[in-house]
Amino acid sequence: MRVDLIDKVPSGAIGTLWEGTKAIAAGFATTLKHVFRPPITEEYPEFRRVLPARTRARIVLTRDPDGGERCVACYLCSGVCPVSCISMQSAERTDGRRFAAWFRINFARCIYCGLCEEACPTSAIQLSPMFETCERDILTLVYEKEDLLVDHGGKDPDYNFYRHAGVVTAIGGKGGHIDEDPPVNVRSNMP
Amino acid sequence: MPKLTIDDREIEVAGGTKVIEAAARLGIMIPRFCYHPALGSVGACRVCAVKVLEGPVKGVQMSCMLDAADGMQVSTTDREAVEFRRYVIEWLMMNHPHDCPVCDEGGHCLLQDMTVSGGHGIRRFPGKKRTYPDQDLGPLVQHEMNRCIHCYRCTRFYQQFCGYRDLGALSIGNRTYFGRVASGRLESPFSGNLSDICPTGVFTDKPSRYFGRRWDYQRTPTICINCSLGCHAVTSVRYRQVARQEARMSAAVNGWFLCDRGRYGFFYASLPGRPRQAAVKGETTTMDEAIAHARSRLETLPPDAIAVNGSARSSLEVLAMTERAARLKGWRGPAFFADAGAAHNVKTAIARLEEGLAVSLGEIGQADFILVVGADPINEAPMLALALRQAVQKGAGILVLDPRPVCLPFGFMHVPTAPEALGAVLGRLVKKSIGPAGLDGPAARFYASLPDEPATGQEVLARAAGLLAASRRPVIVCGTGIVASALVGLAADAALLLTAAQKKAGLFYILPEANSFASGLLAPPESTTDRILKAVVDGDVKALVFVENDPFATSPDRELLERALAKVELLVVLDYLDTPVSRRAHVFLPTQTLYESGGIFINQEGRAQYSAAAFAGGAPILETGGSDHPPRVYGTGLPGADPQPAGQIMAQLAGEPMASEIGARPEYFGGSTVSELAELPDVEAFPEEGQRLSPKNLPADRFKSVLPPSSAAESDELEIILTERTFGSEDLSSYSACLETREDEPLAGLHRRDAESLGIREGDGIAIRTGNTTLEFAVRVYDNMASGVMVVPRLQRLPWQGLGKRVRRQDIRKA
Repeated sequence: MRVDLIDKVPSGAIGTLWEGTKAIAAGFATTLKHVFRPPITEEYPEFRRVLPARTRARIVLTRDPDGGERCVACYLCSGVCPVSCISMQSAERTDGRRFAAWFRINFARCIYCGLCEEACPTSAIQLSPMFETCERDILTLVYEKEDLLVDHGGKDPDYNFYRHAGVVTAIGGKGGHIDEDPPVNVRSNMP
Repeated sequence: MPKLTIDDREIEVAGGTKVIEAAARLGIMIPRFCYHPALGSVGACRVCAVKVLEGPVKGVQMSCMLDAADGMQVSTTDREAVEFRRYVIEWLMMNHPHDCPVCDEGGHCLLQDMTVSGGHGIRRFPGKKRTYPDQDLGPLVQHEMNRCIHCYRCTRFYQQFCGYRDLGALSIGNRTYFGRVASGRLESPFSGNLSDICPTGVFTDKPSRYFGRRWDYQRTPTICINCSLGCHAVTSVRYRQVARQEARMSAAVNGWFLCDRGRYGFFYASLPGRPRQAAVKGETTTMDEAIAHARSRLETLPPDAIAVNGSARSSLEVLAMTERAARLKGWRGPAFFADAGAAHNVKTAIARLEEGLAVSLGEIGQADFILVVGADPINEAPMLALALRQAVQKGAGILVLDPRPVCLPFGFMHVPTAPEALGAVLGRLVKKSIGPAGLDGPAARFYASLPDEPATGQEVLARAAGLLAASRRPVIVCGTGIVASALVGLAADAALLLTAAQKKAGLFYILPEANSFASGLLAPPESTTDRILKAVVDGDVKALVFVENDPFATSPDRELLERALAKVELLVVLDYLDTPVSRRAHVFLPTQTLYESGGIFINQEGRAQYSAAAFAGGAPILETGGSDHPPRVYGTGLPGADPQPAGQIMAQLAGEPMASEIGARPEYFGGSTVSELAELPDVEAFPEEGQRLSPKNLPADRFKSVLPPSSAAESDELEIILTERTFGSEDLSSYSACLETREDEPLAGLHRRDAESLGIREGDGIAIRTGNTTLEFAVRVYDNMASGVMVVPRLQRLPWQGLGKRVRRQDIRKA
């Protein structure tokens, strides 16, 4: 059966006027309805919504529960970074702890993909919800280690890599780490 | 030739080949830890399991222990074999610490690769991990024993392959420990290889500790230039800093390994004090201005009053450009050798290395008798000692004729012989070991000219003559550093005579420096540094140009050098090192190292090898950033990238027509008077194992060498032998701070008889009066060296430059 829709619209001037008035009234009715509703716009920056902890924005370098820098400068984050925005130089502290002598992230280049956080074996590098990094001078988007370091453990507050690693640092000597036997006595013949 | 099938692919291999090798030939990498092509199989790690479906023994077998057999069918992917390997990996990981992020091996770790490829990820074993105490093994190797998987590669390499005993396996069973009896510096000069062969991070490279990961390094195939052997290396550069050097496999030259001098001899390239700016009279300026200044000064002088000095640490490109500039402009030189003796020895060696006689370092291991004459392998060319040891392991006998107290990591016969008597002993030995039958013409005449009086009381020589007589592939290794000029030719004639006596004889020279061969090809016969310095003192030469040459390190006559430098009107120095002469230069022009410019080096057997440029130059970030983060600036260009290849600077100093030819390769060699060089391939197409250059025609002086008359009479003089040491005497590696503790004590050596006649005991100090000065040395007394000589190591710390060639006994007194 053929349905001709055009046939249903009233023809003539009266019909057109009626249709127009109806449409305008419906529009104003919607507007009028919202005038008496509470607004949903958030007045940024006066209002700042709390973002989920896993939001991927500005990167931070966290500390272990003992307050030490977690980053051991293993180069995994810089290796995995698809835009090569992370660079660092590892070095050794006097107690044998490996750390980053300098650590630089170029946020002008960062795409906040989170691969660095995924690769990090010590939970040091983490993406935080802090997204307000807009700058006029592009060089201020190049963050050094002191800009990146925070004084907490981020999303993983309890982990301390050096309690597990087995290398000698101020945290523990041989056999002094979690799930380790005391060192073998090479000079003994006892079974 | 057994023909077997591995993973449904057929391959035919030589008898005795292991299945793991046969698979490697097909490109199938069977997992392995304990197996290493240079060290062989022990079947300790069990990770190379494969399943033999058809063959003499069926079932899961260790492919490194299994000889390939005809009709064998092997599967590396069979479920049973894969499962087996996965379990092996899992229990190897049982005690492995959780420290990959702080381990320097991470990124090129065989254990990491095998764990990932074996599919092991989650630890199932709930028990605790075994730990070990670590040792301080000196400045080159870092020890972290927790990581060990007990493959025994380290101790097999250290003891079996190299012949040193101070590192090995201790304790038993689950406590097996690899280390020394007590902490301390590793004694072997090959200890750096431990970090290469350890499949995990027990032994890691200490000088580059925590510097970078393998994936961050710019890795380039290079040639080691710390001695004349030209071993193959891989150089790792990061942040414009040469950080690490590893061995690169080369069947013809060094095999799988590299000595510590070569491995750690690169630090000069990234030294913080390396001069990177041109200077005129001490004031830094741009390269262009300094070159223009030097050129204008040179142009005011007659060409004959300008003399050029180069050295054998420069690449062939630099040497050829230097030679060409001097030739086109009519300057004196270039002198590439300190004195006429050194030049003559090298030139003779080059002329006598005829095709068929010259053997490569790799072929040394196949010899069945090796005669080492006037050479101290471990000190002059350490990798040669390793090659000699491989020959000894296969049953070769080795006789060393040398005045010095030679020490080698294997059993050998040593006849301490004074330098002038070396020829006579060599001649006598060769004559005794072959008969006159079958010799004709010049060979017979040469045979007749050799002395045949029996050596007095030398039963060692008789034994060696017997071994030489029985040998089929003897090799004569001849040094060129301390020997009299006639010996170099005599060694070649002796090898020819052995060839005439139906032996497959070989000849192997050791040359003084990395590019001595090229220097010898290019150097004009009569120009040497000492002559040029004399001409400066006489007033004939007014300007000196030193191209990558530090005469304070090489010139034996310090007094003449000082007088010449005081008198010279213009001193132009081109160098990449901060040397005494570069600090005194009127015009200093910084040059690029081999790592920046790349270049061809010709090793002692005439093998021209290309070392590629590892990076574009510039000062290391560690330096520009002051060890903190790199400077926060945007800009183009590299800081500290002023240095240019020395050859290009020479072309600019010479002016037209050379200056406009820069960059086009043929100009480096095309105009050369040396025809051999014109045949060298383009650097892009340079063969991996290099190209051997040999003399176009048979040398004219075959069988013409004459034995020098040897004076047996007791002289009232001691002959001074200036000798190389493994560490501390070679120019470039002496800039490596990590090798400083490896240097020998600066002691002069005396034979016990000489020491007693002088009233000197071990450890005494002596004062030697030479000319107007008195030099002081401490003495070590030896029994296994020639008498009538005094051995003085050319250590930078010893004032050997003033000694001269001989010293009278009455001028030596106890200090």
